[in-house]
Amino acid sequence: MSSSTPHLEDVLGTVDRGLWRRIARHASAYKGAAAGMIIGGVLIAIVEALMPFIIGVLVDSIIDGSNTGKITWLSLAYVFCCFAFCVLVWCFIVAAGKLATGMAHDLRRESFKRLQELESAYFDLQPAGWLVSRLTSDCRKVSSLMPWFLLDICWGITFLGLVGVGMLLIDFILGLCVLVVVPFLVVVTAYFQSRLLRSSRLMRKTNSELTAVYNEGITGIRTTKSLSRERDNAVEFMDVSRSMRDYSMLNAIETSVFLPIVTTLGGLGVGIALWVGGVQIEGGEGISIGMLIAFMQYAVLFSMPVRELAARLSDLKGAEAAAERIQGLLEREPAIGDSPEVQSRIDGANVSSGSSLANDGGMSQIETIEFSGVSFWYKKEEPVLRDFNLAIRPGETIALVGPTGGGKTTIASLLCRFYEPNEGAVLFNGVDYRDRSLHWLQSSLGIVLQDPHLFSGSIARNIGYGQPTAGIDAIKAAAKLVEADEFITRLPDGYDTEVGEGGGRLSVGQRQLVALARAILKDPQVFVMDEATSSVDTQTEFQIQKGIEATLSGRIAIVIAHRLSTIRTADRILVIEQGCIREQGSHQELLAAEGAYRDLYRRHFADPA
Amino acid sequence: MMREPRLYGMAIAAMVVSSLLLYLAPLIPTIVIDGVLFNSGDGPTAFERFVLRLMGGEEFVSSNLWWTAVVILLLTATAGVFAYFRGVWSALATERIIQRMRDDLYRRLQRAPLGFIDRSETGDLIQRCTSDVDTLRIFLSVHVVEIARAFAMLIVPLPIMLLVSPLMTLMSVLLLPFIVVFAVFYFRRIRTAFLHVDEAESALTSTVQENITGIRVVRAFAQQEQECDRFGERNARHRDLDNHLYRVLAWFWSLSDLMCMTQKILVVGTGLVLLATDRLEVGAFFFFLTVVGMFVWPIRQMGRILADLGKAQVAFGRIEHILGQPEESEGEDGVHLHSESVSGAIMFSNVSFSHDESAVLEEISLDIKAGSTVALVGPSGCGKSTIINLLMRFYDPDEGSIELDGVSLLEIDRGSLRSNLSVVMQEPFLFSRSLRDNLMMGRIDAEEGDIVEAATVAAIHDSIMEFDEGYSTVVGERGMTLSGGQRQRLSIARALLRDPAVLILDDALSAVDTRTERAILAALKERHHRHTTIIIAHRLTTVMQADEVFVMDKGRIVDRGTHAALLERTGLYRQFWDIQQSGANASGVDAEGGKS
Repeated sequence: MSSSTPHLEDVLGTVDRGLWRRIARHASAYKGAAAGMIIGGVLIAIVEALMPFIIGVLVDSIIDGSNTGKITWLSLAYVFCCFAFCVLVWCFIVAAGKLATGMAHDLRRESFKRLQELESAYFDLQPAGWLVSRLTSDCRKVSSLMPWFLLDICWGITFLGLVGVGMLLIDFILGLCVLVVVPFLVVVTAYFQSRLLRSSRLMRKTNSELTAVYNEGITGIRTTKSLSRERDNAVEFMDVSRSMRDYSMLNAIETSVFLPIVTTLGGLGVGIALWVGGVQIEGGEGISIGMLIAFMQYAVLFSMPVRELAARLSDLKGAEAAAERIQGLLEREPAIGDSPEVQSRIDGANVSSGSSLANDGGMSQIETIEFSGVSFWYKKEEPVLRDFNLAIRPGETIALVGPTGGGKTTIASLLCRFYEPNEGAVLFNGVDYRDRSLHWLQSSLGIVLQDPHLFSGSIARNIGYGQPTAGIDAIKAAAKLVEADEFITRLPDGYDTEVGEGGGRLSVGQRQLVALARAILKDPQVFVMDEATSSVDTQTEFQIQKGIEATLSGRIAIVIAHRLSTIRTADRILVIEQGCIREQGSHQELLAAEGAYRDLYRRHFADPA
Repeated sequence: MMREPRLYGMAIAAMVVSSLLLYLAPLIPTIVIDGVLFNSGDGPTAFERFVLRLMGGEEFVSSNLWWTAVVILLLTATAGVFAYFRGVWSALATERIIQRMRDDLYRRLQRAPLGFIDRSETGDLIQRCTSDVDTLRIFLSVHVVEIARAFAMLIVPLPIMLLVSPLMTLMSVLLLPFIVVFAVFYFRRIRTAFLHVDEAESALTSTVQENITGIRVVRAFAQQEQECDRFGERNARHRDLDNHLYRVLAWFWSLSDLMCMTQKILVVGTGLVLLATDRLEVGAFFFFLTVVGMFVWPIRQMGRILADLGKAQVAFGRIEHILGQPEESEGEDGVHLHSESVSGAIMFSNVSFSHDESAVLEEISLDIKAGSTVALVGPSGCGKSTIINLLMRFYDPDEGSIELDGVSLLEIDRGSLRSNLSVVMQEPFLFSRSLRDNLMMGRIDAEEGDIVEAATVAAIHDSIMEFDEGYSTVVGERGMTLSGGQRQRLSIARALLRDPAVLILDDALSAVDTRTERAILAALKERHHRHTTIIIAHRLTTVMQADEVFVMDKGRIVDRGTHAALLERTGLYRQFWDIQQSGANASGVDAEGGKS
């Protein structure tokens, strides 16, 4: 087999072994199953290699008229091989199941855990669908390939080795003649596998393009119809559709060329065996009829392990991108998290529930919050916040107003530690929040975002999110406070109404009310509301004002809104422009100051023309 | 099959020839061994002599054994050529059918009435167009020929086998019916197991999806551990079901292997007994050994093929559901409007519309003068957007009529109608291509100057210039995201570029801050009388400038008039105004600014 090694190396050489070694580490919990695959592969190869040989010997014994004892013995061996084969098949599929499903499970668990720890900025950069497929298709691809890779590699190499060596031992010349086919087989297989790999990649890529175009065609249907673009879109679609057909055809043609060539090479092996062996038999020397039959069968069987080996290697290459993506996710260190010191304090703190201490042993009560010289940027040349300073007193409600892109949402995100400042610090009770537990901080905040994400499940479950102990009375009370009770009770199933994925069965305004109730039920120390009622209609917004005011009183709150009527009652209003505080003061003070706020206010409510 | 019978016929014919040749190939060694190498007394049979004569006679073959190798090679190579054609032809037929199907699906989705799209879930429609089509594709390209092949592989060799040895033939096919029945029945179990895994996987997927899209909420409520537990539960469930599937498969493959092996043992055993009693020749034994292997293993696939047939039928039904939808009538006999001559006068007379059996609009009558600016206001769900949907003919009214320039909408060609109306929605849709292409979407011949002008009026030009690639920036690429306000402004520019007779802003300024909104409205005002403009808005300051405001409530028009006139009455409009003004009045600012 030495002649074929370089070609196998060609394929193997391009496989990233380091990557797969790291991936294989996740299978360490399933060493038993993996060992089973390896042993199973070797055993099944032995059984399969033996079967044609036994038949050959049987044929010879019968022709020679050997004693029936030997024949019975050989027949029993053959039957035994058949049964052993079936048992082995059962064993390795079960072992493969253990290994594949177990590994997929562990990879998913680790990836999910890592996602929970990673900083928010990570999610801004990766589309949700992309991350979802890391945990679904990528994990499946990588783990389902593992057992078959182990099995086929062990099986293929053992089978080729045994049969090759066996044939050479039985009849060196004839064996050599039949084995001449093998290098061709290897070259052809390696060539076509790599081509097939390429064309199926193209197919997959085009297929996802196709999906994207369908998606755009459906979600953008109103726009398409308004712009009367139906025909143009269909023409553009046909381009993608045609290239999908072309790649599918390419793949089909390659397959249609490849398999017949392999069969023909098998036929060549049979022909050579018959010719060379036949000449020997005619000369009355050398090989027996039974062995000739065995050799001819081997000549056909040879193509199988070669094909499987090449297929598994190309599977491995095909899954490399998936493996890299998973490994990349698993190895990514969260940029925001508890520092080692904080972690050791959390481990060391023995905080009982109901204590006034947080889980890191620090004070649980939040009295003051301070932004001290905070700068923040995504790109250094374009800072979003510049040397921002703000000291929030106990119980103060701060309203942030100003044009889009001024940095209001960034201030809220920094306060929630979704991001951390690039310069300066955010201090809670005078302590940099990087020296406090992240869990404590975030569980002390009540955050309501503009896009109110709900989880599929009932409305009650959504309002009670994060408060599994909250009873239905508490949930209803929170809903009443934000005037959500009325629309909820009008729904056919009331509080048990399913909200659908992402809350899709409710309107945006209704979702915002549920999200508001959810935050209120949590009874947080600090409220952060970013455009929390932007889609609630005017009347409802007016009605919930009182409830919100009552809730906010006595707590620190940061409120962002376009509607000035919402924030009029804030203790302090900050006009944020270009990452800086342009003005601050109470509503009355700012109006009196006749500055930016008054401008904004007048433009909003009155026509200056 | 459908519409490509010729290609499939050719593919099946090529397949039959190729399998016939593949059966002949092992026959050559049989005959050579029995007739030339190992002549067991009674000499070659008539059949063997016939084949040997074809190959040049017994003598010639005996002294030129290389020739048999060439014949075998030729046979397999020829079989290979036919196999190639089989593959290519069946792929060609399938791909043609599938490509047509995809194009039809897309065209149908583009032309389907909006009601159908609104009632359907996007994900479901996409699944029908992609994975269902793919199921059908695999079935057509592989299984159609495969089913024909399974029969051919059984029937084609039968005469040859019977010719060689009837008893051995019987022993070769004895267990086949059992294997087929077993495969078919067992495959039902496998399918159920597959379905369970699929369900568990989609539960897993939606858990992840939800967690990721709501990751900030998870953090805001410090629920990471609970989320991990929830995911862990589903993850474990999926693993267990998947593991179960592997077990079911293990039983299936090992048991069916056992049956196939038993079939083979029957052949080997009978063959050996016949061989020992000189009733079978060595070559014939080899022939049966090979042939059994050729049809026993594929027969196991029958279970899968039948299961796939069922799946393909379901998939086809799901595809037909879309293809069976009516198209929006292509008004060939409809009136074509000439953009230059459309003035934009709109008239609704007693229009009623209901959705899911609940009335959305009741007897709406509106008249909008050409070139005027009107506003629709009212609480959410009062039917404002439905008016737009009817005007665009996304839906048609149940009662009453709508006229543009005195012509009933039903008589106007749909495409021609829509190209004279431009609507900007609250959540505008942008295509994932460059900003310029997005803007030019409605007017392909627009020049750079027009584009910049429209973008300037919509107050988006400056923002576009701030992007690294300006107008060539591709939407949605490499994390390039636009804010809601930017998207709204872009689609306003897109609408303006078409210079429509009627411009509709359906809450299209909601995400734009007040200062920008003011700039856009002022710029639009300068273009006054170029378009009839319909504005829907929550903020009343947005609509103060309108020539006339229609106040809607519960599907009816409850009031109409100018801003100033409406304020003087104690109606819904006044109520809204007071709520929105409450801050202003309290602080003593004079906000009675409706000076339009």
